[in-house]
Amino acid sequence: MLLLQLLVSGIETGALYALTAAGFALIFGATRIFHFAHGATYALAGYAFVLASRLGLAWPLGGLLALAVAVGFGLFLEAAVYRPIQRHHGAFFTVFVAAFGVVIVVQSLIELSFGRAFVAISTPLTRAHEILPGLYIAQVFWVALAIAIVIFALLGSFLARARAGIGLRALSENPDLLRAFGLSARRLSALAFALGSALAVPGAVLGAATTGLSPGVGAHVMLISLAASVVGGIGSLRGAALAGLLLGVVETLVVAFLDTQWSEAAGFVVLFVFILFRPSGLFGAAVAR
Amino acid sequence: MIAYLLNLAQLAAIFGLLSVSLNILIGYGGIFSVAHAVFFGLGAYAGAHVALDLAPDILLAALAAALTAGVLSALLALPALRVRGEYFVIASLGLQMLATTVFTEASDITGGLGGLVGIPPPTVFGVSLADPLAFLLVCLGFLALALAVVRLLMRASFGRALMALRDSESAAEALGKNVPLLKTLAVLLGGAFAGVAGALFAFQEAFVNVESFTLDQSVLIMAMVIIGGAGTLAGPLLGTVLLLALPAALTFIPGLPPTDIGAVQQLIYGLAMTVLMIFRPAGLAGRLAGRR
Amino acid sequence: MTRITRRTLLAASALPLGGGLLASRRARAEEAYILGTLFPMAGPNAEYGTIFTAGAAMAIKHVSADKMLSRPLALRAEDSEGTPQGGAVGMNKLVNVDHALYVLVGFTGVSKAAAPIGTRAKVVLVNGGGVGPDLAGLSPYYWNVIPLVPDEIKVLTPFLIARKLRRVALIYVNDPFGNGLYKALKTDLTAAGGEIVAADAISPTDQQFSAIAARIRTTAPDAVYFASYGAQQAQIIKQLRDAGISQPLLTYSGAAIPSVRNLPEAEGLTLTAQAADWTVDDPVTRRFVADWRAQYGSDPTPYHQNYYNAVRLFALLAQQLEKAGKPVNGDTLRAALLATRRFALVGGEGVFDDLGDISMKIVVNTLKGGKLVAVG
Repeated sequence: MLLLQLLVSGIETGALYALTAAGFALIFGATRIFHFAHGATYALAGYAFVLASRLGLAWPLGGLLALAVAVGFGLFLEAAVYRPIQRHHGAFFTVFVAAFGVVIVVQSLIELSFGRAFVAISTPLTRAHEILPGLYIAQVFWVALAIAIVIFALLGSFLARARAGIGLRALSENPDLLRAFGLSARRLSALAFALGSALAVPGAVLGAATTGLSPGVGAHVMLISLAASVVGGIGSLRGAALAGLLLGVVETLVVAFLDTQWSEAAGFVVLFVFILFRPSGLFGAAVAR
Repeated sequence: MIAYLLNLAQLAAIFGLLSVSLNILIGYGGIFSVAHAVFFGLGAYAGAHVALDLAPDILLAALAAALTAGVLSALLALPALRVRGEYFVIASLGLQMLATTVFTEASDITGGLGGLVGIPPPTVFGVSLADPLAFLLVCLGFLALALAVVRLLMRASFGRALMALRDSESAAEALGKNVPLLKTLAVLLGGAFAGVAGALFAFQEAFVNVESFTLDQSVLIMAMVIIGGAGTLAGPLLGTVLLLALPAALTFIPGLPPTDIGAVQQLIYGLAMTVLMIFRPAGLAGRLAGRR
Repeated sequence: MTRITRRTLLAASALPLGGGLLASRRARAEEAYILGTLFPMAGPNAEYGTIFTAGAAMAIKHVSADKMLSRPLALRAEDSEGTPQGGAVGMNKLVNVDHALYVLVGFTGVSKAAAPIGTRAKVVLVNGGGVGPDLAGLSPYYWNVIPLVPDEIKVLTPFLIARKLRRVALIYVNDPFGNGLYKALKTDLTAAGGEIVAADAISPTDQQFSAIAARIRTTAPDAVYFASYGAQQAQIIKQLRDAGISQPLLTYSGAAIPSVRNLPEAEGLTLTAQAADWTVDDPVTRRFVADWRAQYGSDPTPYHQNYYNAVRLFALLAQQLEKAGKPVNGDTLRAALLATRRFALVGGEGVFDDLGDISMKIVVNTLKGGKLVAVG
């Protein structure tokens, strides 16, 4: 029963990781920008939701505010940080360092305005009830699962059918195809950032209710997203989502056998195994360029 | 005030050594590691154990630290060096996170979060270095040694091959260079000097624990190299001095509550990283803007 | 106990601190006695720093008003961040740069990192907040004005046995404090016929406790003891309750802070703490309590009392040394402490043992409507 219980919490955590990791993978896959500040987007969205609830706004309004903040931040970074760097040279490491700087700036701004302590939102949704003997499930579990399924279904059909969706997939591989379709690479890149950043919102909002937020919360989420996109196969949305789920489950299940302090490390062990033995990941088409 | 400045100067020398050692990887080898604090830590633990269990001789501690950190860095880098670019950065991030957990959990060796306390003042051949000025001179001596080694090696065929590899791995390979060997040697050298810096740090603080060897520390060292100018001799030193002087300078801003100094310092530091990457990606001392 | 907002505490503590800093530049000639504080001033444990500083600040006010010493007292604050690393760095600065004579400290990990530096420089460290068992006799220059956690466990164990809470699950921070508490609890509880059925180590930065809750539930304990600090305690309580753990929750004096007391899920929490008896009828206690109520409109807490006492102890010792025409330094302060032993402090006469540790009465409390109610 312990394993089942842990599996349930692992799936809850993993569903939210999957969304955030898919956001990172979407951006990376379409633009080849190593968006290390994706975790900062997550943190900002979460704190925006907390702010809204402190102001007494209803949760749908809070969710919209979080969404607006996340998308706005993603678009801002694309235009103000990544595009200027890429215009000159576009070295991978330069982008990485710049993004890391952004992460630090966002974290300190949150510290200055919200303090460095944990903040959390209290809701009856996180109260667990005994479903089966020994199995406790909170409503937030079903919420997380439902959100993840609906969003992935919508995202999948958008990428498969909509013109812009097809364009996104073509952006990195075949820019000529874009011209044929009459799509602008610049606008598509902005679209990738908007969509990818929006994917961080559900995890951030539900995270604010379940585990609470701290200014450094983005770092953990970012590392998980990174690990998930390697394990899933760099650039593969489906892979990142599946790997995000897998990492969430591994991180929780490991508690059944080891000290909890190993739970974060367990995800990185999975990462190493993939880098060493299957660098193309679960769904990667080719080994590193 | 003198004691304060001496303390700051010691830290600057130690972190200068650390950033010079990372520069061998990033600046000359094109190996982007975000796990340098791991090797700094390995050196610090090794040095602290020599001081606590054997003798507080600084040369002995530095030797043990250099061996431990150098050998382990080469061993850990071997598998990771097979992969390129993004993968190596991600692998090094993963190594950093794992190492933090291991440092915390292996409390028999590292003291866990409680750390190793009461490290005695260093000696050299039985002469005490308890005087801060004497210790500073020793730190500067190690820094000068590292700079001399880097300068010498980079002018020798090893350095030229390494830099050729940095600029184009396939071209270096085509020229018959043994790429894995070159990279491993660069990592070993960088790791060994980081280890020495760790041993000095252990003596300087008289205390070591895992909090000094986290991802944040790795990023700080990386920022010192990048902001100063990777691939130059003076760049990492410039970056070190700038980033260490920042907190001290901020304490003189009037009206800033002491509890906010930390956050404001981080804010400026992060902003500097981002803005510099946009406008001057080769760093302050870098000449070849847009080279990479 | 009514709520003390952080803002008032900060305002109260910032004044003497700011004043001290300004005064120091001017008053080099006047040669103030420099007291250092090594508290967490930022981060998830900043709440403690604010509380500790407020207690010390009031003592400094009283000492100056009474003209107990020939020289003024100046306070220098270093942020320990509540971590060993911050403690070592901060202590180095207090000793080498500020030339502090006497440093107030809290937190076990901070103390253990700072004590060797204090010993080397013969600077006295006085702890009024950390309760790790190893803090007793850490160094000749390290004294405690707070009873340590083994004393708390000694009071808690018979209470648990009497309430038939024999099987206890433990969640503890994997640092010197948590490890020490684990050892003490295990020894005492086993000796009394109880047992620790699960012991989970966590890191001070962990935020996810639902997996631990699941694991604890399978051991079906009678009660769950958690040992952590600051904001993390509130996280633990909330997530254990969220996960359906309905057993009594137990903890130590570190939970007696507003962020825990005001948490709805913390209702009914059992915690041991120093007895806060403000009815003691001696002039020192009466003045402290009256001035505290006048300034903050609420009762003080044991933490306020301890840091008040720590500063008052310095003033009493230095006064004695001044009268005898002796210099005031680590060695003379230590000699005076061991020679005198008994001091008129807040809460009655304080008696120090050979190690420089005070003893105080400890009680078991329950949290009811945000207030500590003594139950045994």
